[in-house]
Amino acid sequence: MRPCDTVIRGVARRSKKSRLPLGIIIAIALILAAFLGSRFFLTATSQPFRTATPLDVQTYLENANSLRGNVYKLEGEVLNSLGWSASKGRLIAVGVDNGRQVVPVLVTTDFSHINIQRGQRFIFLLEVDDKGILRTKDMTKS
Amino acid sequence: MRRALPTLLASAALAVAQQNPPAESQNAPQQPAQNAPQQPAQNAPQQPAQNFPQPAMPFPARPAPGGAQGSGGDQSQSAAPAGGSNFLGKDVPFFDPGSNIASWDGKNWNISNNALFQARFEKFLNAPAATTESDSEYQALLGEIMDKLAPGKITPRSTDEAFQDLAKASRYQQDSHLCDSIASQVYSAWLSRKSNDRLNAASKGLEDERKRLEWNARLTAEATKLEGGGSSKSKEGGPNPQQQQQQLSRDMQMQPIVTRLAEVNALIRANQLKREVAELQVKIDFQSLIVQHFLQRRFQHAVIGTRFYRSIFADGDSQLRIGEDAKNLFAKTSGLPPNMGTIDSLANEIMGDVREAIQAFKFLLEKNELESATKRLAETFMLGEYLPEVRTLAREDKRKALAFVQKSNQLISAIQVKDYSLAEKLVTQLGETAKDFDASKPMAAIETAKQISAMHIAKARNAAVSGDKQTLEAELKAATEIWPRNPSLNEVSKMIFSQADVQSRAMVDFDQLVSQKNYRQVYEDRMRFIAATAMYPEKQEQLRKVLEDMQVIETALIQAQEIEKRGDYAGAWESAEKAFRNFPDDNKLNQVRANLTTKAADFVHAIRQAEELEQKNQPGSSLSWYLKAQNVYPPSDFARQGVERLTKQILPDAT
Repeated sequence: MRPCDTVIRGVARRSKKSRLPLGIIIAIALILAAFLGSRFFLTATSQPFRTATPLDVQTYLENANSLRGNVYKLEGEVLNSLGWSASKGRLIAVGVDNGRQVVPVLVTTDFSHINIQRGQRFIFLLEVDDKGILRTKDMTKS
Repeated sequence: MRRALPTLLASAALAVAQQNPPAESQNAPQQPAQNAPQQPAQNAPQQPAQNFPQPAMPFPARPAPGGAQGSGGDQSQSAAPAGGSNFLGKDVPFFDPGSNIASWDGKNWNISNNALFQARFEKFLNAPAATTESDSEYQALLGEIMDKLAPGKITPRSTDEAFQDLAKASRYQQDSHLCDSIASQVYSAWLSRKSNDRLNAASKGLEDERKRLEWNARLTAEATKLEGGGSSKSKEGGPNPQQQQQQLSRDMQMQPIVTRLAEVNALIRANQLKREVAELQVKIDFQSLIVQHFLQRRFQHAVIGTRFYRSIFADGDSQLRIGEDAKNLFAKTSGLPPNMGTIDSLANEIMGDVREAIQAFKFLLEKNELESATKRLAETFMLGEYLPEVRTLAREDKRKALAFVQKSNQLISAIQVKDYSLAEKLVTQLGETAKDFDASKPMAAIETAKQISAMHIAKARNAAVSGDKQTLEAELKAATEIWPRNPSLNEVSKMIFSQADVQSRAMVDFDQLVSQKNYRQVYEDRMRFIAATAMYPEKQEQLRKVLEDMQVIETALIQAQEIEKRGDYAGAWESAEKAFRNFPDDNKLNQVRANLTTKAADFVHAIRQAEELEQKNQPGSSLSWYLKAQNVYPPSDFARQGVERLTKQILPDAT
């Protein structure tokens, strides 16, 4: 006896035991699909820089030069301010992956109007410059 | 000064013996002994057949014994070589009885402490007593001779008997034929006297002839006067030819008489002169012999000689006619006039003094006062070596003195060669054997030398410890010069040499370890290397640097271990790593660091990655790793410095 025969006979027995209407099932499925789709749509439209590729922190740590010129999205928590230059901006340490990794981010003077404080979470749109430094192209609080 | 002169004379005799050791057995006895029998045998039978001028003797051609009596004192002076007489040196000898130092001819020596004297004295101390039958007979014979010639007893017969006894005495070995020389001299004097008698007889004949010639001359003169009394003058007033002829005849008769008279007068004067000179020569020879015996310390023979001399030359002329130096020897040192009486009295006094000294020696020996006894015996021996009291001294008594002398000489030698250990032992032994031994002087010398040597050794030790090589050598040299056989010196030398051996080995090890950069081993053996490099400043500096570095390493290790105990492995690793970066060759540090690396792997990995990327000029990635390390171990200096460094690189104008 083949296994498929056993499955067919089982379904036949269940269909005999719980005979729910097929329409109800389809309706429920449609309702569920509509819900999930709306959720996905709402989420996709509310997340900033959704088109940008998240920064592969591990790759960045191993060889930042390989990422030069690319633009990435990064979300993290401000851990510390490393330095500030009136001409170049502020260099901050950003903790990602629940603080397991820390990357430096140079917040350029374009974003001087943003108060950056320790513990704040931001989503950064970052460009890897020619020295492998992550420069902010855009940033927003998450 | 009564004792000074005899002692001086004795020392003079010793010195003479030093220049010509067998003097007593060569010159003095032999020459007269050989000549004496020959001269009478040859000359005596011939002389009567000779004319009177012959006994003039060969005195101008033969110098007198001693070399100073050629023809009287003045002549001997003039005959002396330039620079003065060489009989007894250029100066009059001087003796200081306080120190027993004799000064003579520009030389000083201790009369009781010189090799010749010591040798003779030891020979005497070992010799048996001269108490054989032969010795007794000889001494009895000499005493008999002196007795026969003694003033008040002397007669022509006793003189003849004494002369015969001289021949008997000379047969004894101990006489060394000195009596022969006296007999020979006496015989020469007698011959001289006989020659003078013949000269006197010849002079008498010449005197008769002179009288006869004078008579003839007078008669010839008177006869001429008678013949010429009638015919006075010629017609012209001058002497006539006949008178002239007579005058010529008279002159011709007078001429041989006058000539002969002159010859006779000359011969008389010559004989007179020869007689005086011959007697003077005999006297000088005799005096020389007596002085020689006196200087040879043959005082019995000197006394015999003076007594014979007086009996032969009874004219009362006893003045010494020897050289000025020899005369001064008596005159200037004793203050007595230099004559035969002086020699006689001095010789008798010395013999008496020797008798007393021998008694004193025996008494001191009984009292076990060996030092004084030996000194008295040495002085007595020096003076009266040939006198019977000295010669008959018992060998047992002399051996006691000999033991003391040998030890004393050994002590002197030990001090001279600076063997103070032996000297101290000898002083102790001498003090035990001789009650009167004065140990203060030798002990003072010994203790002083020991103390100075010890001081130098102490300085040498200090110099060795402080690494002052020059001072070490100088002090060791000084200590060695003062006390060459100092046992401490040997110990110190061994110590220094062994130290030098250890030191050189340590230096080799040090150089090897430094070249291997095995500073840990240097640190472990630092005490050895500190001592070894004490004398090498450049090595000292090298060692100081190594030890300072090791101190840093050790501090880092201790710090790492303490931090590790708290469970702070990253901090412990960082402490070890800091030291490791400065001292990568230290094995212990390396091991500790390796252990901690595994315990703080995340932190170490972050730091190493950060540094590696920093070197690759990837400041972004590098800074990320530093931040990660700082996240793992916030107090990390490496992470903080790295972050600061890279922040400065990214933001050069950061504030």
